[in-house]
Amino acid sequence: MGLDLKEVRALFAQEAAVRLSRLGNQLLMLEQTSGDRELVDSVFRELHTLKGSSAVAGFDDISKIAHDLEELVDAMRDSPDAVAAETIDVLLSGVDRLNAAIEAGVGPIDPGTDAGPGTMPGPHAQEPLPRDPAPAPRTESDGSGVVMVPMERLDELVRLVGESASAHLRVGRMLQERFRIDPASCAEYTKLSRSLNDLQDRTMRTRMVPVATMTDQMHRAARDVARARNKDIRWEVRGADTELDRGVLHRLSEALLHLVRNAVDHGIESADEREAKGKPRQGAIRLHAMQLGSEVIIAVSDDGAGVDTERVREQAARQGVDVEHLTAEDLCGLIFRSRLSTAAFVTDISGRGVGLDAVRTAVEAVSGRVEVRSEYGVGTEFRIIVPITLAVLRCLLVEAGGQRFAIPFHRVITSRRYDAAVVTRAEGRPVVWVDQRPVRVSRLADTLAMSPEEASDGPVVVLGDTADSHAFQVDRLVGRRDVVLKGLGPPAPHLPVVAGAGVEPDGSILIVLDPPGLIRRAGRAAGTDAVPVPAGRRSVRRHQVMVVDDALTVRELQRSILERAGYEVRVAGDGAQALSSLREQPCDLVLTDVEMPNMDGFALTEAIRSTPALANVPVLMLTSRAGDSDRQRGLDAGADGYILKSGFDEGSLLTAVNRLLGGTP
Amino acid sequence: MQTVLLPVHEELYALPVRWVREVLAAPRITPLPTAPPEVLGLFNLRGEIVPLFDTAALLGIGTTDAVAFTVVLLGPQGSAALTTTAFPHRAVLDVPTGRSEHHGTAGTFRIGERVAVLIEPSALLAPDRRLPAGSA
Repeated sequence: MGLDLKEVRALFAQEAAVRLSRLGNQLLMLEQTSGDRELVDSVFRELHTLKGSSAVAGFDDISKIAHDLEELVDAMRDSPDAVAAETIDVLLSGVDRLNAAIEAGVGPIDPGTDAGPGTMPGPHAQEPLPRDPAPAPRTESDGSGVVMVPMERLDELVRLVGESASAHLRVGRMLQERFRIDPASCAEYTKLSRSLNDLQDRTMRTRMVPVATMTDQMHRAARDVARARNKDIRWEVRGADTELDRGVLHRLSEALLHLVRNAVDHGIESADEREAKGKPRQGAIRLHAMQLGSEVIIAVSDDGAGVDTERVREQAARQGVDVEHLTAEDLCGLIFRSRLSTAAFVTDISGRGVGLDAVRTAVEAVSGRVEVRSEYGVGTEFRIIVPITLAVLRCLLVEAGGQRFAIPFHRVITSRRYDAAVVTRAEGRPVVWVDQRPVRVSRLADTLAMSPEEASDGPVVVLGDTADSHAFQVDRLVGRRDVVLKGLGPPAPHLPVVAGAGVEPDGSILIVLDPPGLIRRAGRAAGTDAVPVPAGRRSVRRHQVMVVDDALTVRELQRSILERAGYEVRVAGDGAQALSSLREQPCDLVLTDVEMPNMDGFALTEAIRSTPALANVPVLMLTSRAGDSDRQRGLDAGADGYILKSGFDEGSLLTAVNRLLGGTP
Repeated sequence: MQTVLLPVHEELYALPVRWVREVLAAPRITPLPTAPPEVLGLFNLRGEIVPLFDTAALLGIGTTDAVAFTVVLLGPQGSAALTTTAFPHRAVLDVPTGRSEHHGTAGTFRIGERVAVLIEPSALLAPDRRLPAGSA
């Protein structure tokens, strides 16, 4: 999870490319529109942010150039209508010097897409193109015929195409109902259907990247661990041309790297051991990717020692898990539990602070699931199964309280007939047995606070998240549906039990439920603390920190440090974005930059202090502004602490955060 | 000021016309579970999902049992809709006749022998001025 200096510099290169390109453009505009105060402020902010980011990336010379230019622009703020061409000359030549200094520090830079919060560059942003024999579409090395497009535009395109497809289905229905025309017999209609299908397919593919974009990095990780552990391995890749959503692949990168390191470190035996067991001295690590319908499976396997299920059984029993009836497969599944995986399977090399529970969390975050199959002495295979894209969500449709709802499939553990005779009670609550474990059961309509109806004998759907599971009784199961999910932002209220909604072909709206939110709500209603939950399944709430900074480099560095220290981190690119997010869901501490577009750190702090629900949230300011007046202004606004970027390091940040949060994540 | 008058039970509320996107007959509503009482649900406006708010509940003057029309607003955070209990009309507001007390309103005006209360949608629909989500 941690970023080393090389990675920080790679991030900085990505950020600087975008900022320098924007800066050059703004300076030329400024020359044409003297007197534009906003533009001067904007140029100032770009330089100021570059100064801070370059200092964090350890480029003092670049920071110095940016500082000198910033001073020049600061002086212009007093009389923006008198921007002389000579001043623009100096500034443009300063931008050239910045470009040259950055190229000297990190190599040639490439003005790519703008990177907003949460849009980290791909793991191979600074890596050479893959040497894998797999094709790498749309990445011609000479750059001709390639257009960089921001991800948001592609997201918008995917959404609009999805809506067009829904509208098309509605037109078909209207033809049938109002004009008694069978749409299938209408040539124009079927031609439009085909075109829309093609368009949807091509649009989805614009977001796709081949798994090959990750394989070099994984090969390198496997090789490094093997060298450190003095093991001999062979790296094999199949299906590297399998494509999936860039965002999904990026968010899986840490999990995949962990599995590969784990396979070499714990799976593969030493050459002598292997020889003694009658195996080839060289161990095999295989990565196999394939598409299966609307899902992609990425399997990481080894021909090593396999999972010692007896050892897992002992450890689980020691932690209070009832292991009596667990099969070998169940025991393998237990290694995804946090305490077990950390205790038994993580070392300094393969672990990197990430346990197999974190692998599962990362996979579930992209609506996927992870499975493990292992045979002791023969080898282990981890399978990550994820949807090709997150724009379409495979859902189970159910009816509860007379209304139809969609439940994301990846959270459904099982569904079964409701048999009142086998429902038992524990601590005042009804409980059903699922895979030898007691699981609380509630009526979905009750959890959703819908009007009470007659008790039904409808089936139960068991939902699970990373920490818990809960069974919900519904009126009936309706079927399966791929839903084009739309989030419900303001002005609609934020509701923890609702993930979003989709439009049905008949024009009606289908509410998509959020299983973790449902489980939490049902748990609260059932009195969570009183319910017997097997050890290791309770989630321990970690402190959540909101990092607010418009500089990608700084933001990601802070996120990296805090996550490594065990904090949960949310990010925002400016004060306005942070405030809106905090109003929906507060956090335990806000770490904010000062100079930002839309709303700066001072205004953000003042807004936090004047919002009753947020007034007590500690605010820590991190900025490159060294002046006493700025420091005082921050404290006056209500900040609890102030760290200068020039004196910023991991230790000082964690000390300040720990102090304000009372010690531990 | 050009406004659209929203009849809510026996009262009149005025919405500055620049906020108004369109007026619809009562659309088909999908209830939003666990939403606060002033959120009646969601409806489909040509593929766009729009939340519908009970104007009476937002203003704290009861609830709307039968929605006659909905007025769709285009605010800074996106589209939203308000209920009315009769057909909305356009009206020009002159000078205010007094102050108003409800949050999300900005003064009273005379319309013939009736009083119209001016609505400020950005305040009326602000998330932190409504009841906490999930309170139902």
